[in-house]
Amino acid sequence: MRSSKQRLEEFLFPADSDTWLGILRIGVGLQVIIYCLSLRTDWTDLFSLERAGLIKRDLSEAMLSAQSHYIPRLGWLVDFAAHFGVSEQAALTAAWWSLLCAAFLLLIGLFSREAAIATLFLHLCAVKSTSGLTYGVDNFTSIGLFYIMVAPLPDRWAADCWLRSAPRRNPHLQGFHRRILQLHLCLIYFFGGITKCAGAGWWDGTSIWRALIRPPFNLLPPETLIAWKNLFPVLSISVCLLETGYPLFIWPRKTRTFCLLAVITMHLAIGVAMGLYLFSLVMITLNLAAFRPEFSFNGMRMNATRQIAGPPGPISSSGSRHADPL
Amino acid sequence: MACLGAQLFLIMTVSLRDTFSIFATTPTIFPAEANEFWQRREQTTAALLGEGLDHSNWFRNGIAVYLHSAGIEAGYGFFAPNVPANYKLVFELHYPDGRNEYDIPRVSSAAAGVRLAGLLDQLADVNYAPLRATMMKIVAYSVWQEHPDASMLRAYFGRARLPTPGEFERGNKGSYELLFAYDFTFRGTNLNAP
Repeated sequence: MRSSKQRLEEFLFPADSDTWLGILRIGVGLQVIIYCLSLRTDWTDLFSLERAGLIKRDLSEAMLSAQSHYIPRLGWLVDFAAHFGVSEQAALTAAWWSLLCAAFLLLIGLFSREAAIATLFLHLCAVKSTSGLTYGVDNFTSIGLFYIMVAPLPDRWAADCWLRSAPRRNPHLQGFHRRILQLHLCLIYFFGGITKCAGAGWWDGTSIWRALIRPPFNLLPPETLIAWKNLFPVLSISVCLLETGYPLFIWPRKTRTFCLLAVITMHLAIGVAMGLYLFSLVMITLNLAAFRPEFSFNGMRMNATRQIAGPPGPISSSGSRHADPL
Repeated sequence: MACLGAQLFLIMTVSLRDTFSIFATTPTIFPAEANEFWQRREQTTAALLGEGLDHSNWFRNGIAVYLHSAGIEAGYGFFAPNVPANYKLVFELHYPDGRNEYDIPRVSSAAAGVRLAGLLDQLADVNYAPLRATMMKIVAYSVWQEHPDASMLRAYFGRARLPTPGEFERGNKGSYELLFAYDFTFRGTNLNAP
């Protein structure tokens, strides 16, 4: 009979391929590229102190300093550039290009680790310097970038693998990092769902209606939406149950595919009906990376038991415990 | 394993802090008498994150930097427990010749438009009046730079009450409620001056 410690180790260190990491890297890389391109025309106005921006960078950064002076911000880069006589405008343009290039390198998987660190840092600087103008998508992008940065890179689809012949990491380490992402997603949906359940509007359908007619998310005319009013209570209760029940239904084999498809459908609907394309993209990426269809909790556990024939050993400083059988 | 434990602990603590905060400050299905209970729980979880410590404390700073870097500094109560009201910001521009014009904050892309809506939500949520006035002044300044001849800007910030499906069917398209107004003059002012 296996001890609970052994079972915990098998749960946390299942043998897994690096497909999840490839999906996450490509999806988040694409996400940051679209983020850069979508803000191309507003970039300088958003960050420059010299231009007519909606909310000044220095105010955002002052509010950020109330939390800590050490949280990355664009002001650092602008001040650093100023030491070399570089103007604010030039520094901001360079930051935009650097972020775009780093995200592109991440997308193709060239210098993956360095690209992930640079993308996370520059993206963080940008979103923290416009804290008044950020929303959930920025947090989820940071989450994705953070997990890529600490993950056992490169994956099999990365250019590093075939251009630089970088060694691939062991499957138990891949499984461990993927497991963290899976647990994190469960917490995200559970807390999102439980908070919605506390609102009366999510039980009678009013919240779905309000979300769809509220500018700037009102892409569909209310005259069209009202024809479907009887569906609103069903849809909004389904959203509550789906999100709250995600940690329960995403693990068992019988409900996993349905749960994953339902969540992806929900995010696609949010993207199409409310115009939140970036939010949808990052959520679908995180879900596919964590729980892509071939994932099998029971199967993984059985595979892990068969392959390692015992509890996992300590991880070496290079991050490898066993020879990579892939 | 220790790293995993720490990461999950921080995610849960931040999520609980924000969930308790939402329950304490917004109308929910829970009785209003429970607000104090939620507030105490929020303070406890915030203390676990070192938020009660001095600003120069290394633990508080370390936790804050880690939370922001990992993208886990905020909870996940999007559009919850209720979808927020629709906020509007309109500027009335007064010219020396007695003429008045109206303008709204502008951005040039749909992506920035979504972010602007988030900014208006945040303006409505700011309870500290001087901070709200400062934020409003900065937004007003950006509008004034497009209309430098204006002698005064009056900013109207209001809440548009969205109709329920039933009200909409009866022809009610919602109503507008003014929350606050500010007057600004910028001539000879440079907000960027130290």
